[in-house]
Amino acid sequence: MLIKGGEIASEQGAPVRGDVLIEKGVITEVGESLKAPKGTEEVDATGKVVAPAMFDAHVHFREPGQEYKEDIVHGTEAAINGGVTGVVMMPNTSPAIDSAAVVRTVLEKAREVSRIPVYTSGCITKGRGGEELAGIDGMRNLGVVMLTDDGDPVANPAVLRNAMEYATPFGMFFASHCEVAELSGPRALNEGKVSYQLGIKGTPACSEEICMDRDIRLAHATGARVHIQHVSSAIGMETIRWWKERGARVTAEVSPHHLIFNEEDIGEYNTHYKMNPPLRTSEDNAALLEGLKEGVFDLIATDHAPHSEFEKAQDFVSAPNGITGLETALVSLHDRFIATGLVGWDLVVKRYSAEPRRMMGLEPVPIEEGRTADLIIFDPSGETTFSRDFMKSRSVNTPFLNQTLRGRVEMVLRGDEVLLQREAS
Amino acid sequence: MARKDFLDIASLSREEVDLLLDQATPFKELFTRSVKKVPTLKGKSVLMLFYEPSTRTLSSFEVAAKRLSADVIELDVPHSSVTKGETVKDTVDTLQAMRADYIVVRHKMSGLPQAIARQTRASVINAGDGSHAHPTQALLDAFTLKEVFPELSGRKVLIAGDILHSRVARSTSSLLLKLGVEVGFLGPGSLVPRSGPEGITRFTDFDEALRWGPDAVYLLRVQMERQEAQYFPSVHEYHQVYGVTQDRFARIQGEGTYIMHPGPVNRGVELCHEVMDYERSLINQQVENGIAARMAVLYWLKPQTDSEEAERE
Repeated sequence: MLIKGGEIASEQGAPVRGDVLIEKGVITEVGESLKAPKGTEEVDATGKVVAPAMFDAHVHFREPGQEYKEDIVHGTEAAINGGVTGVVMMPNTSPAIDSAAVVRTVLEKAREVSRIPVYTSGCITKGRGGEELAGIDGMRNLGVVMLTDDGDPVANPAVLRNAMEYATPFGMFFASHCEVAELSGPRALNEGKVSYQLGIKGTPACSEEICMDRDIRLAHATGARVHIQHVSSAIGMETIRWWKERGARVTAEVSPHHLIFNEEDIGEYNTHYKMNPPLRTSEDNAALLEGLKEGVFDLIATDHAPHSEFEKAQDFVSAPNGITGLETALVSLHDRFIATGLVGWDLVVKRYSAEPRRMMGLEPVPIEEGRTADLIIFDPSGETTFSRDFMKSRSVNTPFLNQTLRGRVEMVLRGDEVLLQREAS
Repeated sequence: MARKDFLDIASLSREEVDLLLDQATPFKELFTRSVKKVPTLKGKSVLMLFYEPSTRTLSSFEVAAKRLSADVIELDVPHSSVTKGETVKDTVDTLQAMRADYIVVRHKMSGLPQAIARQTRASVINAGDGSHAHPTQALLDAFTLKEVFPELSGRKVLIAGDILHSRVARSTSSLLLKLGVEVGFLGPGSLVPRSGPEGITRFTDFDEALRWGPDAVYLLRVQMERQEAQYFPSVHEYHQVYGVTQDRFARIQGEGTYIMHPGPVNRGVELCHEVMDYERSLINQQVENGIAARMAVLYWLKPQTDSEEAERE
């Protein structure tokens, strides 16, 4: 395949116009006015962006146990629909992914049904119970590198510390969902103006910040590497910056929804704005974006958290936490930040494609000679309407439901397989 | 400008507030007649859906609906069926089948009446949801205050007690602010939110709050059952620091300050028993006005159950 005249995006600087020649799934040439061998399919990418495909290090595929919300086949198809060609599953399934047996089941299922690579994290403690360590060696032997009880913190610091001492020599690292349960409200909502108005006890940002600081301190003391998930507050961001400046082995992620939305968007109890950690304030939105631009955040991850419509139709307190993200992330980042000139493609490629792969010990997928093709064609002047029909996920719990945003993933190519080909808009 | 639902105070315009307050007056006048009933809602049905026990509010709504000649159905709900696996959707489907025109809901979950209202054609009236709102209480409170202060603007009302968990504090303060009243919140530091209420003076010292010069002191019921954590050391200490003790009552009497309370009163906690006989206590008036205010709300709302009939025809 010869992709002609596109703007080729990379981690380094603004996109550069050029052609990309792909033969047998491998990029054989990148340059201007390339000539393809006879019979090569040509794709006109004039005015479009050709970018490395995205990678999402935080998704909930609900399999095994809650397949009515999501499963591996729908989750991975949703990923492709959003321009994402690799994901890391979180282990809060039912049963939890806390042993070699469950890891094997999940990975076998993924090999059977998924068109993109699926990685899974494993639990730190059995059943995410926070008490006994999970079967760490068995999971390691199946390739698990990330340990997390995501959805909950490990409440007892001594348990987390032992896990860090134990698993760090195995080359594994930790991912932390940060919150102090005793400080958190019954349901995810920022403590402040909106929680007062809605009459629901809120969760103060310090609940997250205290736990984050605790986990980084424990990692620093034990030599472990820790990844802080879905940071939602300005002080949280500053906490990570402070520790990075002191050389702690810490990485951190920010989610598109914490960059784009805040507590005011909840309005009259709209559960499509309910997730944990909760949306905070517009000042936090601004600080998180600064943190992303300044490299405090290593990566963007969606925390893709599907829930069925009847669950989200409940009252705000009863409805479960979380929104989907895989299908909307790239287009929404384009709509809010790239199209508005706030950030460039280089930042999105670095933070949503290259760095998450590096964190997982994988090679990034730059558009360079000799690399296996793993790329997308994105039309910045096209648009996407996130209708029910558009969505491939089993769930549609996103604030973007039925909204039209600027930007459109037109093609997803991995090796010699075209995973997605949407008609030009 | 009639609405389908009556869910909170925040979304009401000043005009709507004035209309409702004006409407309550003729209904109250009705109570002194020998026949206290009007045929306004004849043939309509009002469903009482109280997931939280409440004798006072339930009977107040019931009397209001009956004085408007509506049929009243009290649904015997297990007190937490919505939380026990039954979704709002299931509940609403059940209610829809009963063809009620008005649904009066009380629930411990903030936001539950809103979730029901979105999914039914019946008019939903919020009779108290969690710590969020109790809009008919706010209406009766403002109506009661207006009877003693026809011009409310510029008056000062001190609301005292557990502000954090109180839907009465939220709704009544929100309505009083709309009417130009200055509002103060008084209570233990752990129970008066620091961030949240805008334009309200925050007090944690009773004497300082009295020096502020309130025209009325509105005491909230101390709800021990709603407190999942210990916010103050003991009921005895609460009374000493934040209750109307005999000393404070003497000052209040001296100033001619009015006393209000949503009921039922915990004697010896929010106030000493002498206050109950105070001639400037508005507590009984609040109960009577509750019926008139709720009649005004029922009279004002327009259920969409008629359009359902129209669609069938």
